[in-house]
Amino acid sequence: MTSSFLPLTRRSLAGSWRGLLGWTAGFAAAITLYIPLYSSFAGDDAGFQSVIDSIPEALASTLGFENLSSGAGYVQATFLGLIGFALITIAATLWSSAAIAGEEEAGSLELTLAHGVSRVQLMIESSLSVVLRLIWVMAVSGLLILGLNESSGIEIEPVNILGGILALLGLGVLSASFGLAVGAMSGRRSYASAAAAGVSLAGYVLNSLGNQSADVEWLHNLSPYHWAFGNSPLRDGADWGALGLIYGIAALALVVGGFFFNRRDVAV
Amino acid sequence: MTYAIETIGLTKRFGHHTALNSMDLAVETGSVFGVIGPNGAGKTTAMRLLLDIIRPTAGSATVLGRSPIAGGAALRKEIGFLPGELLLTGRVSGRSLLRHYAEISGPVPPQRVDELAERLGLDLSRHVRQLSKGNKQKLGLIQAFMHEPRLLVLDEPTSGLDPLMQQEFLQMVREAQHKGQTVFLSSHMLSEVQHAADQVAVLRNGRVVTAGDIASLRASAVRRVYVDITDASADHIRTALSALPQLGDLSVTTGDIIQVTGTVEGHIDALVKAIAPFHVVDLRVEEQDLESSVIDLYAAEARNDK
Repeated sequence: MTSSFLPLTRRSLAGSWRGLLGWTAGFAAAITLYIPLYSSFAGDDAGFQSVIDSIPEALASTLGFENLSSGAGYVQATFLGLIGFALITIAATLWSSAAIAGEEEAGSLELTLAHGVSRVQLMIESSLSVVLRLIWVMAVSGLLILGLNESSGIEIEPVNILGGILALLGLGVLSASFGLAVGAMSGRRSYASAAAAGVSLAGYVLNSLGNQSADVEWLHNLSPYHWAFGNSPLRDGADWGALGLIYGIAALALVVGGFFFNRRDVAV
Repeated sequence: MTYAIETIGLTKRFGHHTALNSMDLAVETGSVFGVIGPNGAGKTTAMRLLLDIIRPTAGSATVLGRSPIAGGAALRKEIGFLPGELLLTGRVSGRSLLRHYAEISGPVPPQRVDELAERLGLDLSRHVRQLSKGNKQKLGLIQAFMHEPRLLVLDEPTSGLDPLMQQEFLQMVREAQHKGQTVFLSSHMLSEVQHAADQVAVLRNGRVVTAGDIASLRASAVRRVYVDITDASADHIRTALSALPQLGDLSVTTGDIIQVTGTVEGHIDALVKAIAPFHVVDLRVEEQDLESSVIDLYAAEARNDK
């Protein structure tokens, strides 16, 4: 046995643990700042719902604030649908564009590919490194929410926390898969970033537009954001069909990216 | 005769630009083969095609008996490659970077990395991004040589190395050859490869202009000569030298020290004998830059074609 297990993934993770530590702290800060505020801010007796009721409905629905009075609604509106979504989109964009396109622009991809590594192996191991980091920040987030579940009074069914986290992770993986695929096809970091951020942003915008009226509600069908959160996973549990669709499209994007990566010139 | 590298009509176009134009090359197994040519001649393109980093537009290449595409990762494990533009980044030590490459292209014999680092005088504990250009080049050489591949493909291997390290590099090439490894290296200076290579191909504008053994190539190379002479008249010198057919661009200054400059094609024997009667205070013979040498060869080929 001359080659060891997943050498490229291990090297990528070894080179990025400092950044990952910072991102972990960021997710943890968002959760520990927002969730304990629930009881004083948005509980049944805090009267915050009346404030929400007083702001224009269109704005409230755009921000996903319709249902703040339940713990599940509060966590959905503050973390899952907003801060957490923004953070994971940024992380997925940065990591996925750095993985192949970033290495190619920095000039190190040429030497790696000159060694005993196939393009497909590089695509798989680079993607795995990004996905493992996304799983890590989402696992930490899920455990923190679970830890604060009782004390903050949000009282979400633990299995539904898993459902919500899988939905947010799915959006992160989808964003990263587009970044990885476009980076692998083009070798351009800017294109990869645009694809990763674009797919997240487009999903968010389509969802918000679809919220505005029944006439444009069909836009929800095009929004991965709505697939993930439309069925309120924190309240009603994971929507396995929607999760399958999101992860399936992500996997397809990676396959397409790998297919073209295997056929193009590198570092020209 | 077996060939470590054989290309037939190998062509690479980027859009309208032809980087490599129907290159035919045969590198014997166990030989040291140098490709020389000015920047943009297609040396790097040819090497990247052999490593399957880029794909040919036309023609074919056979490396260690296989095509680079079909050979894939297994073939590349048997090749040590030094890229022309070695960009090493990252917060890792040289040792850890080499360990990583050893994992994917190994196995590397124990102590091999330390032995090479000691020979080249490289500190492996330093972070790669802190290394100077020369030290990065040494790290690049180590990662190419360490797993003792059957074929070494080295793009401008001596660039950034001081003369002492260039000598050490030449020694490493000789040792590789003794072990039966084939070395394919490039340079833009003939003088850099003449000590290392048995065979040379000159590349220009993506074409092989000439190929052959070093001795015959050197014999046809053009050199620039500088001679300083005292106690003679300029006219006398000019008359003595203008009879030499190999001498061109002759210029003779007047004064106490008469400075004679010119170019010599082929052997310099006739010139040395022609200046022997004079009092020569200085004589320098410089190889012209390859660009001019190649132009000369190119022109000669064109004459022969007529």
